Amino acid sequence: MKKEAISVKNLTYTHPDGTKALEDASLEVYEGERIAIVGPNGAGKTTFLLHLNGILRGSDGQVEVFGKSVDKENKEEIIKEVGIVFQDPDDQLFMPTLFDDLAFGPLNMGLKGDKVRERVEKTILSLGLMGYENRCPHHLSGGEKKKASLAAVMSMEPRILVLDEPTANLDPKSRAELIKIVNDLNEREGITVIMATHDVNAVPAIADRVFVLNKKVIAEGTTQEIFSDGALMKANNLEVPDVFKLFEVLRCFGYNCEELPLSIDEAIEHLMRTAEVNGGHIHLHIHEHTHDEVKKLRSEYEHH
Amino acid sequence: MMEYPEIDKYASLDSPMHRFDPRAKIIAFIFLIFSIVLLNDLKLVLIGFLVSILFLIASKLPFHFVIRHLKGVSIFIIPFLVIMPFTVKGDEIFSIYAIKVTYEGLRYGILVALKAFSAVILIFPMVATTKFETTIKALDKLKVPNILVQMLMFTYRYIFVFVDEFQKLLIAMESRGFKLGTSLYALRTIGNALGMLFVRSYERAERVYWAMQSRGYTGSQKTLAEFKMCTKDYVLMVVIIAFAVCLHVVCYAY
Ligand SMILES: Nc1ncnc2c1ncn2[C@@H]1O[C@H](COP(=O)(O)OP(=O)(O)O)[C@@H](O)[C@H]1O
Ligand SMILES: [Mg+2]
Repeated sequence: MKKEAISVKNLTYTHPDGTKALEDASLEVYEGERIAIVGPNGAGKTTFLLHLNGILRGSDGQVEVFGKSVDKENKEEIIKEVGIVFQDPDDQLFMPTLFDDLAFGPLNMGLKGDKVRERVEKTILSLGLMGYENRCPHHLSGGEKKKASLAAVMSMEPRILVLDEPTANLDPKSRAELIKIVNDLNEREGITVIMATHDVNAVPAIADRVFVLNKKVIAEGTTQEIFSDGALMKANNLEVPDVFKLFEVLRCFGYNCEELPLSIDEAIEHLMRTAEVNGGHIHLHIHEHTHDEVKKLRSEYEHH
Repeated sequence: MMEYPEIDKYASLDSPMHRFDPRAKIIAFIFLIFSIVLLNDLKLVLIGFLVSILFLIASKLPFHFVIRHLKGVSIFIIPFLVIMPFTVKGDEIFSIYAIKVTYEGLRYGILVALKAFSAVILIFPMVATTKFETTIKALDKLKVPNILVQMLMFTYRYIFVFVDEFQKLLIAMESRGFKLGTSLYALRTIGNALGMLFVRSYERAERVYWAMQSRGYTGSQKTLAEFKMCTKDYVLMVVIIAFAVCLHVVCYAY
C-alpha cells in the first residue's frame, strides 16, 4: 500500500488583488514519488507550491501532509516535513554566509550548536559544497547558488522536497548536476520530490508522474501519457520534449514505434531494439503521406 | 559602473587590528570614538587624532582604500573648516571686506573637523578589519537588540542585490538610448526606475519572508559563532579604554 505524502483537495486561492490563482485544485502524491507540475506562465504553479507548507492558505480546500492537515497550529511540524526551494536563489539565501544559511533552519528547529554544525557539515558533504562554507551567497555562480539553495533546505532534513522551476537559468552542466542530485536524494533517502517546471526536456529525467496545472489540475498521468496527449499539450500552451518531437517526425518516415521515447536514453534503447528486430538496420523511407504528415506536425509545433 | 559598498574588502589581511577579537574591538573603539568626540580641548583632540591615525596604520589597510572612503566623508567635514571661521564671533584675525575671520571660529572649525576625522578614521580599524558578517555576529553576542542585528544583516545581504538590480535597470534603459543627465526628462525617467526598484524590492521582501518562514523563522534570529578572547585581547581592550578615559581625566584636571 502506497503511503500518501501530500493530499490536496479542492484548493482555491485568490491573491489579495483579486487575481484568481487556483480554483478547485486537487492532487495526491505518494511517498517516494517524483512529481512534476507543468503549466503555462501564470498558471498558479508557484502559488500552489506555497500552499504545501502553509505559507499561503487557500480560502477553500484542504492540504494534508502525511495525513496531517496543514494549519496554523502545526506549522512548525509541517515545515520540518516539507522543504521548499524557491525559484530565485537570492530569495532563498538571505544570510551573510553559506554556513549561516545552512544553519538557519536547524537553529530555528531548536537544535543546539553542535547538532547544527553536524547537520551543516553533512549537508555540505552530500551536496558537494565543500569549501563554500564562508562564501557570501552573492558571489556564487548561478549553479552554485542553486545548489546552495537546495542545501539550505536539505539541512532541515525534510521528507518532502518541493522545487520551484529548479532548472531555470542554469547552464547545461549545472542543470545536469542538479537533476542528478535531486534524483540521488530521491533514490538514496527516499525523499518525495515535487517540482514545478517549464523545462519539458528535464521532466522525463526527473519525474515519474506529471500533473498539468492551470488554475486547477487538468490532467494527471505518467510522462508518457501526458506528453502523448497532443490536444492537452496544445490547449495548455505546453511543449513536448525535443526527443519526443523527433520521433514523431521519424514516424512520418515509416519508423515503427508505439511509445515515443521522451529522453535520449529512451531513444537509444528504442533505436537499439528496432535495429535488432530488423537485423541490424533501421529503415526509413518517404511514402505517399510523409510530406503531408510532416507538414501537419510542423504546423502543430509552430503554434507554440 | 556603480561600486559595491565593500567596507570589509580587506578583512582577510593580517595585522594586530585584524587579530583583535571583534567584540573587544567594537567595545574598545566605540569607547575611544565617544571619548574623542566629547572632548573640548584642542590639544587633547589632536592627541586623539594622532592616536587614531596610529591605529589606522596598525591595521595595515591599503592607503587607496582608506583615501577612497575618506574622500566621500570629507565632503561633509570640510565645510565646517571653511564656514566656522567666518561665522563664530570672537577675536578678529583678519577680515575680507566686511567679513571677519575669527580666532575662535578657526579653533572651533579645526576642533570639529579633527573630531569628525578621528571618529571616521577609527571606523576603519574597528569595522574594516573584520568580515562584516563577523562584526554582525559580534554585535549579536554583545546583546545588541536582535531587531537591529537583523536589520544590519539584511541590509548587508541585499544591498548587493539592490545595486545589481539598479544596474540592470540602468543598462536596460541605456540600451534603449536613454542618457543619464539632469534634464527634466532624464530625472523623470530615473524617478520611474526608482519606483520600479521599490516595487521589485517589495516583492522580493515578500518572497524572502516566505523563504524564511519556510525554514522556521518566527521573528527572532539566532546565529552561530564562536569567539575566543585571549589575554592579548583583554589587554588591548583595557589599554584603549584606559586611554579614552585618560583623555577626559586630563581634560578635567586642567
Ligand atoms: N503576490 C501576488 N499578488 C497578486 N497576484 C499574484 C501574485 N503572485 C502571483 N500572482 C498572480 O497569480 C497568478 C499565478 O501566478 P504564479 O503562481 O506565479 O504562476 P506560475 O508560477 O505558474 O507562473 C498569475 O496570474 C500571477 O499574476
Ligand atoms: Mg512560478
